[in-house]
Amino acid sequence: MSRVISAFERIDLRALSGAAPLVIFVGMLLFIGVNAPNFLTWNTAQLVLNQSVPVVVVCLGLAVVVMAGGDDVVSGGIDLSIPATAVLCAGIIAQQVTLAENPLVVGIAFALAAALVIGVLNGLLVTRFGMTPLLTSLAMFVAIVGVNNVVTASRRINIDSPLILFLRDARIIGVPAAVLATLVVAAAFVFLIHRTKWGLNLQASGGNKDAAEISGLKPTQYLFGAFVLSAFAGFLASFFLLARGSGSSPGTEDNLLLEMVLATFLGASFSPRRVVTVWGAVLGAVLVAALSIGFTSMGVNVFWTGLIKGTLILVVVALGAVSTRAK
Amino acid sequence: MVQAVLQMRNIAKAFPGVLALDGVDLSVAQSEIHGLVGENGAGKSTVIKVLAGVYQADGGSIDVDGKTLSSVTPAAVHAAGIRFIHQELHLVPHFTVTESVFMGQEISGRFGLSKRSMRAAAEGFLRDALDTEIDGNRLIRDLSTAERKLVQIARALVDNKARLVVFDEPTAPLASGEIDKLFAAIRRLRERHIAMIYVSHYLSEITEICDRVTVFRNGRNAALFDAVGPETADALIAAMVGREIGDLYPVRKRDRGAPVLEARELSDGVHFKDIDFALRRGEILGVAGLIGSGREELIEALYGLRHVRSGRMSIGDAPVRLSSPADAVGKGVVLVPRDRRQDGLVLAMNVMENINLASLEEVSKLGWELRSAARSRSKRLIDDLDIRPPAPEAIGRTLSGGNQQKVVLARWLATKAQVFLLDEPTVGVDVGAKVEIYQLIEDLAANGAGILISSSDPGELIGLCDRILVMMRGVVTHDTGAEGLSIDQLVAMTTGAAGRPSIEGASIV
Repeated sequence: MSRVISAFERIDLRALSGAAPLVIFVGMLLFIGVNAPNFLTWNTAQLVLNQSVPVVVVCLGLAVVVMAGGDDVVSGGIDLSIPATAVLCAGIIAQQVTLAENPLVVGIAFALAAALVIGVLNGLLVTRFGMTPLLTSLAMFVAIVGVNNVVTASRRINIDSPLILFLRDARIIGVPAAVLATLVVAAAFVFLIHRTKWGLNLQASGGNKDAAEISGLKPTQYLFGAFVLSAFAGFLASFFLLARGSGSSPGTEDNLLLEMVLATFLGASFSPRRVVTVWGAVLGAVLVAALSIGFTSMGVNVFWTGLIKGTLILVVVALGAVSTRAK
Repeated sequence: MVQAVLQMRNIAKAFPGVLALDGVDLSVAQSEIHGLVGENGAGKSTVIKVLAGVYQADGGSIDVDGKTLSSVTPAAVHAAGIRFIHQELHLVPHFTVTESVFMGQEISGRFGLSKRSMRAAAEGFLRDALDTEIDGNRLIRDLSTAERKLVQIARALVDNKARLVVFDEPTAPLASGEIDKLFAAIRRLRERHIAMIYVSHYLSEITEICDRVTVFRNGRNAALFDAVGPETADALIAAMVGREIGDLYPVRKRDRGAPVLEARELSDGVHFKDIDFALRRGEILGVAGLIGSGREELIEALYGLRHVRSGRMSIGDAPVRLSSPADAVGKGVVLVPRDRRQDGLVLAMNVMENINLASLEEVSKLGWELRSAARSRSKRLIDDLDIRPPAPEAIGRTLSGGNQQKVVLARWLATKAQVFLLDEPTVGVDVGAKVEIYQLIEDLAANGAGILISSSDPGELIGLCDRILVMMRGVVTHDTGAEGLSIDQLVAMTTGAAGRPSIEGASIV
């Protein structure tokens, strides 16, 4: 009996579950590929990537805030306002270009200014006034959506600016321009957070606030910077929203919010250290999009996909939790 | 005398209602390991926090290398070459050794962080300055406590700009073999002409490692010892407590009754196996063992914190399977945890609330807490246990270590529990408070409770216990009476130097 137990212990749930999340996802995609012959094709891949581009960019922002503030969902770092920022920036650009007939540059300038104001406001409220990031950014989300409704009169606004059309239609060596642009943005974030002193110190601040403080760092400064950066990510995401929808449409923020939170925290189960990382968030966003499209191309009833997706993600996150607890 | 590296003069600090420091002096020379001792509440922690810039002193001056610090902020102190090795490790669990060592002082190259050279430097420093081989890519959460401690020290010193290092209870979490390793590292640092302040409750360590010792008592300088050796220990204690302390350990006058907690072939499948013992009413049973011997895990299992895979357990006469601490408490088994700050005390609550936490129903009616009953009961326990300050409203966080421990004990005393599991009950507690806690434990047993003490202090186990189980690599290697046992013998058993008798042959009293 005890031998059976020790053999069981030796297999070690932890090592097994370490790779499991990724294995499950890849297995799932292969399964879809077998059942839907055109799924594992370059065309579908492009569709998936194009679809996930705005999510990936907002995920970058959220990942940075989580890393700077710690991964406790309530008291740690979280910024739920990013999708609203993205939608507002898209709204501002579309309104300026299409309705006010200003040059694109003016729209971009207004949008950037709005994003920075949001970032600074979030940062101040959390670091200076000690407000909970979860509540602060949720309230901010609501407020920003309100502002967007005022700016766009809550209507869809088309845009046919060359830059946006380029992002929508152009291909560079066969790869959609939006995907390439996102890749560049993601690479910049990975470099900033994982390869620079600032980024590592930001991670230290979120990993153990006291440890960071004792090492002479100022955790609140990093958290403040993270909020500004996440608002900036929202600003960047607005271009991809405009390209994907050929204009701005209010209401996209809700779905974006859910997918962002899901993908970012799902990304943590892909990382060997079981923490939120920039590249993990990117992977999470892409895989979630791949699943959605995969189920559709398999012909799964649209009413069922939500349930299946949700269950799958729960399983993966649960495995992550098991492997952390086994430590 | 050579120029002092650190000269603190006439430092005063008051907190609302308490004069924590009443004009203390502290002077440390180059290449000196300077001990700082005193009872809890004597002002050691406060003076260190003043030096760190965490507290601003109300008066006095701090000179480093002969120059007075104009402002004492954490940054200024760091710039002056003063480093702190805090009792808490302050490491990020998911960071690598390299990332931890270079936290806040990373080396960047043209293409971002120079991960490779940082790793080489971290491993090199650990090897050369601290005499340890640790792979720079390992994660902190996979390291042993001693390794983490050394990583923490490496982080403070890797820039080679340290003039003075303050160690605050560096050995508290370590097993005895690991302490030697730490001391070797500290002596290596002395050869590098670094001045050190060594704050500890372990007087045997103070007399072993320190060159000079400053003693604080009630926020004042009580004594300065210029030469220190094993023979100084009694004088140190006298200076600390300012009164004669009797024998450290209470006189045993207890009757043993029926078994109250029994384990038969208890195994968790990983950390311990086939554990057998019977704890009787009125008995104090010790568990000795190095870190990693399974001692901590056994205590956790007895408290329902750890899943038991096989074997039986009974409380009183009834066989039990504990699934949670609430289960254990409900059956009269309580735990005084090792890490009282994290697991024992609600730091933000006051003493009264902490004491009544586990027995609210006794001071409640129909779910309403009766404040006056709660208050009078906590006041009684505060007086019984001599908790200082004797104020039910004092916030848990502000209490010294020994007093926090008494509050945790008081909470369980209020529940009339039958079995007390004590995990390192006197870690970080000063001599005076230790004596009081020992007496308390003895009184508990005399009143019929069964007590199980897990401790890394062999003297404590021998002085307090009737019997001692010695654990090694998950099994009980010795089950021995405590009377007449010498510390050397017990240490030899825990380290395996005493050989390993066949388990069948071990006598079960």
